[in-house]
Amino acid sequence: MKIVKFLSLLVWQLVLSSSAGAGVQYETDILAQGLDHPWSMAYISDTQMLVTELSGELKLITNGQIRSMPIKGVPEVLFAGQGGLSEVLLHPEFEENGFVYLSFSAPDTQEPALNSLNVVRARLKGDTLVEHKTIFQSDPPRKTAAHYGARLAFMADGSLLITSGDGFNYREKAQSLDNHFGKILRVNDDGSIPVDNPFVNTPGALPEIWSYGHRNIQGLVIQDDGTVFEHEHGPKGGDELNIIVPGNNYGWPAITYGIDYSGAIISPFTEKVGMEQPVKYWVPSIAPSSMALYQGDMFPSWKGNLFISAMVPGDLRRLELNGEKVVGEEILFSELGRIRNVITAPDGSLILATDGAEGKIIRVFAD
Amino acid sequence: MIKQSISFLVAVTIATVLLITQTTVTNIAWLFSMEMPVDTSVMVSMFIGDLISMNFKGEVPVGVLIFVGMLISFLVTRIALIWVNIDKRYLYALAGGMAMFAIVGLMPLALYNLDLIAGARSLLGKVYLICSGMIAGYYFGARQTEEITDENR
Repeated sequence: MKIVKFLSLLVWQLVLSSSAGAGVQYETDILAQGLDHPWSMAYISDTQMLVTELSGELKLITNGQIRSMPIKGVPEVLFAGQGGLSEVLLHPEFEENGFVYLSFSAPDTQEPALNSLNVVRARLKGDTLVEHKTIFQSDPPRKTAAHYGARLAFMADGSLLITSGDGFNYREKAQSLDNHFGKILRVNDDGSIPVDNPFVNTPGALPEIWSYGHRNIQGLVIQDDGTVFEHEHGPKGGDELNIIVPGNNYGWPAITYGIDYSGAIISPFTEKVGMEQPVKYWVPSIAPSSMALYQGDMFPSWKGNLFISAMVPGDLRRLELNGEKVVGEEILFSELGRIRNVITAPDGSLILATDGAEGKIIRVFAD
Repeated sequence: MIKQSISFLVAVTIATVLLITQTTVTNIAWLFSMEMPVDTSVMVSMFIGDLISMNFKGEVPVGVLIFVGMLISFLVTRIALIWVNIDKRYLYALAGGMAMFAIVGLMPLALYNLDLIAGARSLLGKVYLICSGMIAGYYFGARQTEEITDENR
């Protein structure tokens, strides 16, 4: 068994040799492997990172070594379909308060046949999460186990953005403001509602809604100037990269560049007054799974670029921006297969997580 | 045998067209409620587009799905008719309904409750689609009865 593992590692090392993208020399190596559907990563120090496994465990990796015992105190999750333990995000003042935020799907407490997207805040003490507080639970609950969104990002003012997918079967609800399907929500770090949210004073609207008309948002980054980029899975075609303006309607499913999985035309319209156009869209779909804004020093020419991990057919997209426009796209690491997550490490290297039951964490660093 | 095959293909076509019509109408009705500029030409182009797209651009061609469902269902019915003495039209109607029930009622259970056919997301939609299968089955059963009557003459 050890020989097989050694050989597989050797093959990967050969595949992941020194490469060049747009004149940038880089090398890759495997930081860790054998993770069960890794979904999200967060560095808690220069050498330690937390990794969520969709199946429900939060793992600690130190210098490439996966700690055998997972972090204790992780809430029970519903691991089914696309559901499970999803995002891990540190509070901006994590070093002082130790707060970690987790998003996950969980059975509904009233009706176990239903489930919802939850966000919990907990304090990391040693190897245990304590002082749990549920700061968000999507409403209404759903019967499907798909399209949760589940990405989190902190804004400069300390408020938290939560992406909530359309639940697949409930796509039309993305256009109504009385539910959480197909929305980006904004809450304070304790789950309370910011008073300056766009629909706070709108009768019938949920006050935590920040933008609506989304499908399944799995990429969310915020630039230093406050610009919020998100990407979302389209249906069959029509994956989108959007710039989010609070209160705006992003059109799903009234306008779309994709068709239904059945082949049916969801909408023949691609634009409408009052509905936002994407900055970029992909037909056919690339299944964008996460996004990082590169701000490291290791690759100076990549600074300010967006990196989007994609699962179909599986690669990493490097997008060059000029203001709010995408002016270039480069496809990298198409040999890796489905890439679930991309983040920037404290030293400026790029960290990728491949999807699947034998997920790998791969480090991309300067040659 | 040729007549039976043609009847079967017509039955599959009936169910397929009824399913696609319902999907198109469901989508149009919602777009209309959203005050999207839906006019007659949009409706016609969406229906024709769905007829083509749902059979050639979807993950699984809906016609093939119904073909397989009804083939199994009608074969079981044919065997059952050896022992059961019920009017063929009603038994095949039941078989057609069962085939559609398998597609819109049981298939989602294997897919984490995802309804891949948009029109089947509501209970009313499911009932309509099951009725579509029953109409197709009834047609097939009626053709079988006619063929036997013709042979007896």
